[in-house]
Amino acid sequence: MTVALDSNEAPAWRTRARQMLAPEFVTPAILLAPSVLLLLVVIAYPMVQGFFFSFTDGSLMKGGDVVGFENYTKLLTSPAFWHSLRFSAIFAACNIAGCYLLGLGLALLLQMDMPGRGVFRVLLLLPWIVPSLVSIVSWRWMVNDEKALFNQVITLFGGDPIYFLSNSNWAVTIVILIKIWRSFPFMMLSLLAALQSIDRSLYEAAAIDGATKWQSFWNVTLPQIKNISIVLCLLMTIWSVNDFDTPWLLAQGGPANATENLVVLAYRYTFARNDVGMGAATSFVTLFVLMALVFFLLRLQRRS
Amino acid sequence: MSRPNFMRRNMIKLALAGTALGLCAGPALAQPVSIDFWDMIWGGPTYPAAAQALVDKYNAEHPDVQVVYRSVPWTNWYETFVTAIASGSAPDISTGAGFQAVQLYDQGAIMPVDEVVAQLDANDFAPGALDALRYDDHYVGLPWAVDLRVLFYRKDVLEAAGVAVPTNWEEFRAAAKTLTADGKFGLVSSGDSGGMHWILASSINNGGGLFDADGNAALNGERTTEALQYLTDLKTDGSVNPASVGYVNDDARGSFFRGEAAFLLNGPLLPDQAGGVKDQIGIVPPMQALHGDVGTVYWVNNIMVYNQTEHPAETMAFLKWWSDNALPLWTEGKAGNLPARQSIQADAYFQDNPSVKYIIDTYLPVSKTMSAAVGGTFPQLNEIDGDGFLMSLMQSIWQGQPLGDNLAAAQSHLEEIMAD
Repeated sequence: MTVALDSNEAPAWRTRARQMLAPEFVTPAILLAPSVLLLLVVIAYPMVQGFFFSFTDGSLMKGGDVVGFENYTKLLTSPAFWHSLRFSAIFAACNIAGCYLLGLGLALLLQMDMPGRGVFRVLLLLPWIVPSLVSIVSWRWMVNDEKALFNQVITLFGGDPIYFLSNSNWAVTIVILIKIWRSFPFMMLSLLAALQSIDRSLYEAAAIDGATKWQSFWNVTLPQIKNISIVLCLLMTIWSVNDFDTPWLLAQGGPANATENLVVLAYRYTFARNDVGMGAATSFVTLFVLMALVFFLLRLQRRS
Repeated sequence: MSRPNFMRRNMIKLALAGTALGLCAGPALAQPVSIDFWDMIWGGPTYPAAAQALVDKYNAEHPDVQVVYRSVPWTNWYETFVTAIASGSAPDISTGAGFQAVQLYDQGAIMPVDEVVAQLDANDFAPGALDALRYDDHYVGLPWAVDLRVLFYRKDVLEAAGVAVPTNWEEFRAAAKTLTADGKFGLVSSGDSGGMHWILASSINNGGGLFDADGNAALNGERTTEALQYLTDLKTDGSVNPASVGYVNDDARGSFFRGEAAFLLNGPLLPDQAGGVKDQIGIVPPMQALHGDVGTVYWVNNIMVYNQTEHPAETMAFLKWWSDNALPLWTEGKAGNLPARQSIQADAYFQDNPSVKYIIDTYLPVSKTMSAAVGGTFPQLNEIDGDGFLMSLMQSIWQGQPLGDNLAAAQSHLEEIMAD
């Protein structure tokens, strides 16, 4: 006797559809829909459109014609691009190193029980709190000529004035230092939170084993904050590469393009040269570079 | 009379009365034509108020038109206009940067104003001003002002050092070097567009410029290269305030007003903006350059009409009125440029001002635009003016870098712009 096939069995897709329409799926989907829609409108669509623009020769007023990879070829063969990439790398690396060391050092200090710790914590956050325009313009006034505050101090101690914004090397240096000053509070605050979350018994165990303070720092503290450190470096890399305010407000990307990073270069192409295609191409190359870095750092974090 | 008939008659009467009332009210309810006028800030804080007052006067005299005035700061001015145009919300009329009209015209955004030019006396405009706005056989804008670069000096500084006012480049170089001592410098400049103007002014002064007679990029032309080398020599002499590279124009002006520099290249109304040291500021006569040429750079500030206007006739009419009645922009608004109309220049406000009169009489006749040698106007000029590569070149010169490679890079970039 043969067994008759069940002709009423539902196909797989229908079963899956029924599952998707179950309350446990529908409710979160409805709740997520506004956010997803918002992301599509304000992020995805502009990115797609911008990516399309990078293949055109359009201006701010006209869409232009599709020119294939011409913009990317032109960009990658442009000395200005490689200069901007180099400066962006130096700027980001120095900023990450500087604000990490400064932030970690201050975070370690603020961990200690000392008078006025709360006040110091607030004061140390000020560089992050003050609007960028205010802080950067104030810095500019402090460094821009022989009568500026910095040079008043230098000449007071018998030195010669340094024209920080009038020399390419000094301009790069001062831009980096100001960026570190603006960035370290975030690093400090985040690392302080990470330090405070470390289990104290680990230090006690290390002390019992005879570890010195330096050994405890190297073998307990650093490993414990490694993951958050990677995330912070990731964020700081993104913010440094994408920083328009510091080089622009301080030196307009000068002198002689010395402080022109990729973002300033994209700005120049788009608004100074009316070349949206090149501006978009520069922006997307910057994005690709950042994505590669993000990928590398995330892999590093997962391995740890 | 029956009731239905009575009602019908009354309804007819009401209808007729309503119609009559509507016809009478029609003109009173008609809306005036609205014209959006965007105006750059061409002076200090008093300028926008004076311009608004002038617009109010026009509105009072022309009740059928309502001009809505908007003051536009120079910061990000280009983005302001191009995004407005791209989004279909351009003004009906605006003033703008020297080459804004021609670039926007080339991109289809500007309406020629030939009909207004035809109503005006061409000879009333400053020499070359109309030509500076002529492109593709049309006037892409109407000249309303001219802005030129003049070399000023500190009378007190030169007198204290016993230095005569220079009359040629050789004398200027010697004077600047002599006047550099004790924390003061021969000249102060800036790393922004104010510094770039040294390139333009000096190259034109020396009979060169950015182009040759055929319109080709010629930043590396003989006369221009000589001028740039001259600027390099000034730096080598130590005559240029080292802070100039990092300065913006306001910094340079401040330094000059404080007497920290003997010479400054700036706009024509600088003395009037100098406050208490006004009487200490003198005008260097147009100097003879290396080969005896005399000249400086100037920009013809334009006022332009947009294709997006829905009221071209009214806008053109306002444009002509504005041109004819612009004097208060200077007398009340303290605009920092000079009128393009010679009939306005003839006003006592300018003629009774010794500095301004001298500049009108001696500098304006020898002024040339950025298109010197080739003449006219073309869209690339706006890009050249806004690109920043000439600023970078000037910054490299003021840093004392060798001219060769930087000039070659700038020439290459200029060629690239002209090829677009």
